[in-house]
Amino acid sequence: MTPVALEAIGVSKSYATREALHDVDLVARRGEIHGLLGPNGAGKTTLLRVLLGLVRPDTGRVRLLGRDLAAGSALPNGVSGLIDVPAFYPYMSARRNLTLLARLDCTTRAAGGAAVDAALEQTGLDAHADAKVGGYSAGMRQRLGIAAALLRSPQLLLLDEPTSSLDPAGARDVRALARRLANQGAAVVLSSHDMEEVEELCSMLTIVDRGRIVFNGTVDELRSRAPAPPHALHTSDDRAARALASRSPGVRVIPAAHGGLDVSADLAALDAYVVALGRAGIAVRELQRCTRSLEWLFVELTTPPSKLDAAEVMRAS
Amino acid sequence: MSVRGVTAVARVECAKLSAQVKTRVALAACAVGPFLFATAIRVQSSVPEDTLFGRAVKESGFAVSLVVLGFAALWVLPVLTSIVGGDVFSAEDRHGTWKTVLTRSCRRSEVFAGKVAAALGFSSIAMAVLAVSSVAAGLLVIGSGPLVSLSGALLPPSRALTRVTLAWISVLPPMFGMTAVAVLLSVATRNSAAGIGLPVVAALAMQLGALIDGPEILHRLLVTSAFGAWHGLLAEPPYEGPLLYGAAVSVSYAVISLGIAYRVLQRRDVAA
Repeated sequence: MTPVALEAIGVSKSYATREALHDVDLVARRGEIHGLLGPNGAGKTTLLRVLLGLVRPDTGRVRLLGRDLAAGSALPNGVSGLIDVPAFYPYMSARRNLTLLARLDCTTRAAGGAAVDAALEQTGLDAHADAKVGGYSAGMRQRLGIAAALLRSPQLLLLDEPTSSLDPAGARDVRALARRLANQGAAVVLSSHDMEEVEELCSMLTIVDRGRIVFNGTVDELRSRAPAPPHALHTSDDRAARALASRSPGVRVIPAAHGGLDVSADLAALDAYVVALGRAGIAVRELQRCTRSLEWLFVELTTPPSKLDAAEVMRAS
Repeated sequence: MSVRGVTAVARVECAKLSAQVKTRVALAACAVGPFLFATAIRVQSSVPEDTLFGRAVKESGFAVSLVVLGFAALWVLPVLTSIVGGDVFSAEDRHGTWKTVLTRSCRRSEVFAGKVAAALGFSSIAMAVLAVSSVAAGLLVIGSGPLVSLSGALLPPSRALTRVTLAWISVLPPMFGMTAVAVLLSVATRNSAAGIGLPVVAALAMQLGALIDGPEILHRLLVTSAFGAWHGLLAEPPYEGPLLYGAAVSVSYAVISLGIAYRVLQRRDVAA
């Protein structure tokens, strides 16, 4: 059994004048949860649609569980996915919807019935299984989408923001499910905007921006790419400290979200800046090295410098 | 494409259709409508003289079935063909369920074939219900008197039943042709209102077109002309030319429409 569950090579896709994906490569291995990050409109969902055979790439090749995905072909057994908000037939119950999906997977009636019951139980929908889906909340539909994905006994599971509509308990259940599947040897590709979720779950990361891969590697590799770790700085006069930073070479200071300042600088420049603060009569009350959060790195990777500067101005004001 | 996959999709479509109110209402109307019509005919003093076989509706129950067939060919059958055929694909767009259906173990070709089979199956069943109901209504409410053919010959009940049955069966090819047109519109427009409404409008336009003077070949190329080909079966002796021609035209409509629809679906990107 090949350790590579998903291999997309050189995938490009354009709509009219817009290039949604450009030469995208993505590899996900069994036993890992692979995070897919990117700002809105970056191409994450288009990529997942290509991987699930819903959208035909202009160029490139997709292999799922060792099988090439041809245009119009069926999804290989063991591959399942959840795209956007899951959709079902509103005039039928959750159980009936899942039963019909099991038939489309060509399972026998008995095996399909047992799988449906198990999927409903795993997603906590068993109490509402016979209610019409039209009356379901967004969170319940999300759970039903996950149940539909579980029907295929996934060895490769592609999830597009699976916890976006869920309450905290539901989101925790989905994370536990992803972990369990990965521990059992499945590959999970998780697209999410929740950085804490990605940081908590994913061992590998791919960041997409404007249809291009801007990072692909482990979380630690991403952190190591950062030029210098940020420091949290509290002074007696933050405004003056910012003004001084603008005259200090190699020092970048922005207001922190929860008060104080975030300082980016290598060690020598930081030392010089702290000394300069003292000479200027600005007391340093606290200086603490921070771990760079994924969110910070993500913004750095996917935001054009001009927009970053504008954002800093807005935060400062 | 595998038979197993097509069968799976067709079964799923049948399950969905049986859960929908519109299909139940349509089939109920097909079952009850002829009885209401026959009862009204029996109660009233006049008969629909301007309609083919209208003069005979109080003498022969078979005439009731043929009057129902004549009326259905104009209005009801195009509606019945599009009610499922025009919605079977676009309903997935309306519910946003393409991404659910196409991420299972069936190929697109199997999904296409299964859905088309379900649409054709519904058209056939609706036609059969209407046929059986109209014959039953005629026989139970009016009686099984002999039928006067279009040539003036008297057809005994057994022969009349055979001819009436064949007349109903003869509208299957144009129904399939119209169903295929509805399928094409459903796939191409992704809109159920267009999928259901446009075939009915198209059928009406073709029937109006048949009233306008023009080359005979153009009239024969209208699929709605095949809905009237059964008249030849009620002549004495019967003639089959229009039936064969109508069947060929209907098959052409079906093949061309389904071919285009298949290609559109295969090439489609299921984006947001």
